[in-house]
Amino acid sequence: MAAGSSSNVNENIPVFEYKDINTKPFHVGSFRTAWLEKLKPIDYSYEDKYEENEDADFAKEMGIAPETLDELKAICSVDTLRCQAEDEPLDTNVVPPDPTLQTLIQRKKKQDYKGTLRIDKISRVDHYQDELESLAVGKRPEDPVDLVPEGEIILSINVLYPAIFERFRYVRPHMTLQMLGSHSLVDLRDAICCISDLQVFGEFSNTPDMAPDFISKDHFKSAFFYFEGVFYNDMRHPECQDMSETTIDWAKTRDFPTFHKAKMEDTRFYDLKVKVGYPYLFCHQGDCEHVVIITDIRLAHKDDCLDRKLYPLLTHKHRVMTRKCAVCHVYIGRWLTTNDPFAPNDPCLFCERCFRMLHYDKKGNKLGQFLAYPYVDPGAFN
Amino acid sequence: MPNGKAKDRFLKPLVADYEELLGRFQQTESVRFEEFTAIWRNMGFSSVFYGSLAGNEMREFCHLTLTMAFNYFLPPYSFQIRVGGLYLLYGLYHTQLASPKEKIRIALKDWEQIQKFYQDSVNSQHYDAVYIIRKLIAENAVLYTAMPQMLTFRVKKKPQHHKVCEEFRDRPERVKDLISTDMLQEVANIQGHHERLKASVLERSSIAVTQQDLPARLHSCVLEFLHWQDRHENHGDADHLVYAEEKAQQVESSNRAQLLASIKTKSYGCLAEASRSRRHRQVEMDTSISGTGYIKQAPKYHKSRAPSLKARTNKNLCGEGQSPGFRCKVNNSLFDFEAVDPYNDTVRAVVELIRVVHNVNEWHGTQLLLPEQKEGSCVVR
Repeated sequence: MAAGSSSNVNENIPVFEYKDINTKPFHVGSFRTAWLEKLKPIDYSYEDKYEENEDADFAKEMGIAPETLDELKAICSVDTLRCQAEDEPLDTNVVPPDPTLQTLIQRKKKQDYKGTLRIDKISRVDHYQDELESLAVGKRPEDPVDLVPEGEIILSINVLYPAIFERFRYVRPHMTLQMLGSHSLVDLRDAICCISDLQVFGEFSNTPDMAPDFISKDHFKSAFFYFEGVFYNDMRHPECQDMSETTIDWAKTRDFPTFHKAKMEDTRFYDLKVKVGYPYLFCHQGDCEHVVIITDIRLAHKDDCLDRKLYPLLTHKHRVMTRKCAVCHVYIGRWLTTNDPFAPNDPCLFCERCFRMLHYDKKGNKLGQFLAYPYVDPGAFN
Repeated sequence: MPNGKAKDRFLKPLVADYEELLGRFQQTESVRFEEFTAIWRNMGFSSVFYGSLAGNEMREFCHLTLTMAFNYFLPPYSFQIRVGGLYLLYGLYHTQLASPKEKIRIALKDWEQIQKFYQDSVNSQHYDAVYIIRKLIAENAVLYTAMPQMLTFRVKKKPQHHKVCEEFRDRPERVKDLISTDMLQEVANIQGHHERLKASVLERSSIAVTQQDLPARLHSCVLEFLHWQDRHENHGDADHLVYAEEKAQQVESSNRAQLLASIKTKSYGCLAEASRSRRHRQVEMDTSISGTGYIKQAPKYHKSRAPSLKARTNKNLCGEGQSPGFRCKVNNSLFDFEAVDPYNDTVRAVVELIRVVHNVNEWHGTQLLLPEQKEGSCVVR
């Protein structure tokens, strides 16, 4: 049937692979060009458009007289949408009495119910967490060089926490980062804060003061991203190994399509071919795996944060409960002991002070036989 | 990230409110913004944002309202509903209480549809719709995105598909899509080409494998169907039938906007744009009646009460894929195509088409059985 003009499928237009779940893979850079072709530069610029110019263009296009235009503007102005008289005081915090809209009926029920409860405490941390999103909105840089250019792509990426316990699966704790299209994958890698990077290996009961010197981030620098059949390895440092080697070799022996390799530092987001809404992988420290989902790709807008230096921008981060010291229940645990005769349970958490007080005498000698490991609490990034 | 449960809670009453608003708008049979704002004020729609919504809930709610409203701006809704959707977006964007304002997300795949809509509005001289689209874009109310919503791979949750409200759906145009003017032209061209080749090869053309008047017959089938659709929707309004006659003369000039505009004027009775040949009889602007000089109020048709969902489903071809009017069996190398609903006029029109097309293939040895008992059915073996 030659009549189908819809058969002209442009690959760069993202479409759903599964409706409302994820899209088919598309090239990010080409997506951007596709949008920029379709729009006039003024549509996505940060400047405010002058109303007179806009009106003049409109009148010319439609061929109407100025009086008609004025009338039109009066009719279509926002004031016509106002439901109250101008001088009536308006309290937007309260549902108006006798609501007819279903939304309001439902909301009123909830409001009435809430009124019957005792005062519920809003956690201060939750309150600030909600504010995190709007923290950087509308920020302009002082130096115009740092301004995010018009027509730049902003990606929203969810990086899920590695260990997701069975019963907390529906919550999906994650952190949301906003990145620019011109950033490379190493920028994303550096922005991901995972506590496994801060882990210190080794048993330090004999030398408790030496603990903070070795953190895993410095030791094990390799990492890779996996997007659409390509492994992007971090090869910046000489000690980085190609961790994807094993997987690729294994896949060759099985019935998998061949995977490819690329360098993380050479790949920008514009060069990627990805699906939106589809889970991918980020692996570091050898076995710490994070699921990465690109939730949104769009053109930059006037109200976004326009300071390049602030990107990658953290917009959301799940708060993790911190585990406190078993003794004082006040400070966050820093040491984990096993085989410890002083401890009530095995293993046991101690904060720095309680640990020293219990296990070492005034001169710093070790008392008793135990094993102590430095502990990094998952809530360290809260 | 919006809490999934909260979102579902807000969803149903919100959609109910939208459909109430758009239903009333549909009944006014107009696409004017004033009508829309009258209904808006009547329902007090700005108050949909009132009530203390804690923390981020307000922002999420505003985002949700805009996303849901955007669905009404796209096909398969009729033109009037789409204009209503546009006005709804404009209203919601400006009355929302989140600060900075939540934007309207437009995905790349929908841009074509929106451009077509814009072009149709310009051609039909709907100044307010055009002005509002331009204003929204000029005010930076639009985010140009890849996808209409943020996708987080929530596979386990039942995805909330937007259920298309049947009453707002545009008239099914399947027959017209099947036999479009382009296709008719192509068929005519091919036929002409074939005739010429035949004449050049043979002295006397006694063999006729094609119907000589195939394009004309296809065209008349389509027109008949359109007439039937019109009759059925407007109960014999004379203007429409006359209008459809004029349409017949203009098919050669395959102007898609014209076809669309003509169907649209049948769907809503506000602006009757005369076709090119009847431009001299165009209804003039009547500035004396109303203060708004830029629109002309054509006499409003009284649409009867919309038929029930069951009746409509029986009337139209089912939209989900399987058409209830046809049954198709394949036995060995035979192909049984049986129409089981002879009372469905759409089915009848398509059967007629099949008959016409089949005649082309007669010499292949296929048979077309037309059982006398069931009018409007055929079996092709």
